[in-house]
Amino acid sequence: MRAKWGLLLLVAVVGCASPPRPVDPPLLKAALEVESDGAKRYQRGDLAVAERRFAEAMRRFAGIDDVAGSARNRLHLIRVKLAQGRAAVALEMLDGIPPGLAEELDVLLLRGQALLALDRAADAGQVLDHAAGRCGADCAAGASLEILRGRASLRRGEAPAARAHAERGLALLRERDEPRELGNAWRLLAAARLAGGEATALAAAQAALDIDRRLALPEKIARDWLLIGDIQRRYAPGQASGGNDARLAYARALEIAEAAGLKEISLIASQALQAIGM
Amino acid sequence: MSLLTQYDADTAAVRRGTRRFLILASLLTLAVVAAIFVRQGLLRQTVSYGFVTDSAQDIAKGQAVRIAGFRVGSVSEVSLRDDGSVAVGIEVDADHMRFVTHDARVELRKEGLVGSPTLEIVPGPDKTRLAAAQARLAFTRADGLGALANQVRDEFVPILKDIKAITGTLADPQKGLPGTLAQIRASSEALNVLLANGNRQVDGIGVSAVRVLNKAEEDLKHLGQTLEAANQRLPAMLERTSQVLDHVEKITAEAETSVPPVLRDGSAVAADVREIVGGARQAWPIRNLVDAPGPATLKADSDPRGEAGHAR
Repeated sequence: MRAKWGLLLLVAVVGCASPPRPVDPPLLKAALEVESDGAKRYQRGDLAVAERRFAEAMRRFAGIDDVAGSARNRLHLIRVKLAQGRAAVALEMLDGIPPGLAEELDVLLLRGQALLALDRAADAGQVLDHAAGRCGADCAAGASLEILRGRASLRRGEAPAARAHAERGLALLRERDEPRELGNAWRLLAAARLAGGEATALAAAQAALDIDRRLALPEKIARDWLLIGDIQRRYAPGQASGGNDARLAYARALEIAEAAGLKEISLIASQALQAIGM
Repeated sequence: MSLLTQYDADTAAVRRGTRRFLILASLLTLAVVAAIFVRQGLLRQTVSYGFVTDSAQDIAKGQAVRIAGFRVGSVSEVSLRDDGSVAVGIEVDADHMRFVTHDARVELRKEGLVGSPTLEIVPGPDKTRLAAAQARLAFTRADGLGALANQVRDEFVPILKDIKAITGTLADPQKGLPGTLAQIRASSEALNVLLANGNRQVDGIGVSAVRVLNKAEEDLKHLGQTLEAANQRLPAMLERTSQVLDHVEKITAEAETSVPPVLRDGSAVAADVREIVGGARQAWPIRNLVDAPGPATLKADSDPRGEAGHAR
């Protein structure tokens, strides 16, 4: 009788049993959660908290000997530093990354970005050319690379090259969901057209502004207004309406910068207003 | 001769002494009996009242009758009537009949729920008319432990059944929260894809389309916040439910010793619900429903500070 019941129980257990769901080890899961939280903060623009989260995630991954996780979070952290305007620190951190990582292309792009932020356009150009050699036709970072190369060209005073890079970047972004890069590409195109003496710069700058407004990025919005002011000032210097539009654009940039606590842009906008006699 | 005379005198003295002693003893006995009568109120003037109840349980002849906690009389008679009801007669001191109004009721109470039962006359609101002698007063039984236990059971058993139903529904993989979360996730992903497609196409479209997409994005954010809140709060809710069940089980376990039949159902239901909630808490913490996030990928932003336009 007992054997019967035992057999029945065994059948029931076997019937009810299902393959166990794969579960991440708790420490790995915790590290991934911290990283995920940091990513959310970064997307929200909460850079200070994102920085702490990525640093903690990096430490946690290092604690479980997850080299890839640790390196990935180091790159996240570098992105945060760059967004905070701490390019020198970012460059220092990039120097500490050992070669041979899977994200080597990302490292090169971030290095180029840091060098551009430090006004080292020539060095940036070299790094980005090297990155271009590693980035094939279907390279996921192709659009970012084009934008960075365009920025480097612009810094070197090569407006046509910058414009070409910007247009290639826009073409690559057409099928992708990267609104921030799309705004960057339009801004670069506007700056390149402005440098190249093209009046269509204003439309590109306004396209960038529309995207940045939608993404609610105050620093970019303020810089877009500065760019619009520069374009208005350049192409309608003699016209009363053009001067007025430039003044309005700079004033808008100043207003946004002060509201968002962006001292550098406030200073630039104030100087621009003074330059046009306001 | 003189010896006989002396003997007679002594005998008479003894007789006198004995007589005196017997008289004194009888007087003392009478005094004690009188004192007892007085003490028992047998010599006091009383007024009789009565009431009818369906059971003589906890009512006995000689049982104290109180007003505001003071003993003012006793049960004089308990008898079974022809119709099966019980007639109870009580006698109350005439001095206290001023408290027995015509709408007064007699209430059977127990001291501290489980103490000895006493009858308490509770005066009615109308103080202008007193009850006549031999009047039939209303009678009620105050809720005892059994009644209280019944009341508790009547109140918490439906609640526990509701909890059982709710937790059962929540744990249902198809219709419950797991299924709902899965559906929401699927919907969110579909909406995200839709938004992504919309975002790509929107650059050339007007401001109104942008506004619509922004609104949709906001709605998705709210949805995400709601899910996060549910994720954070539901485990706590389950924890609290479990604590409540701890108490309920403790109470029922204690009461079960005195009133087992009354609370047996409640205890069983509590145990049942505990099993479900415990199972839900152990096997289905909400946080485990949501998979651990994968490695984060930050959206590309090669110009996070908008420096491309830096022409000066």
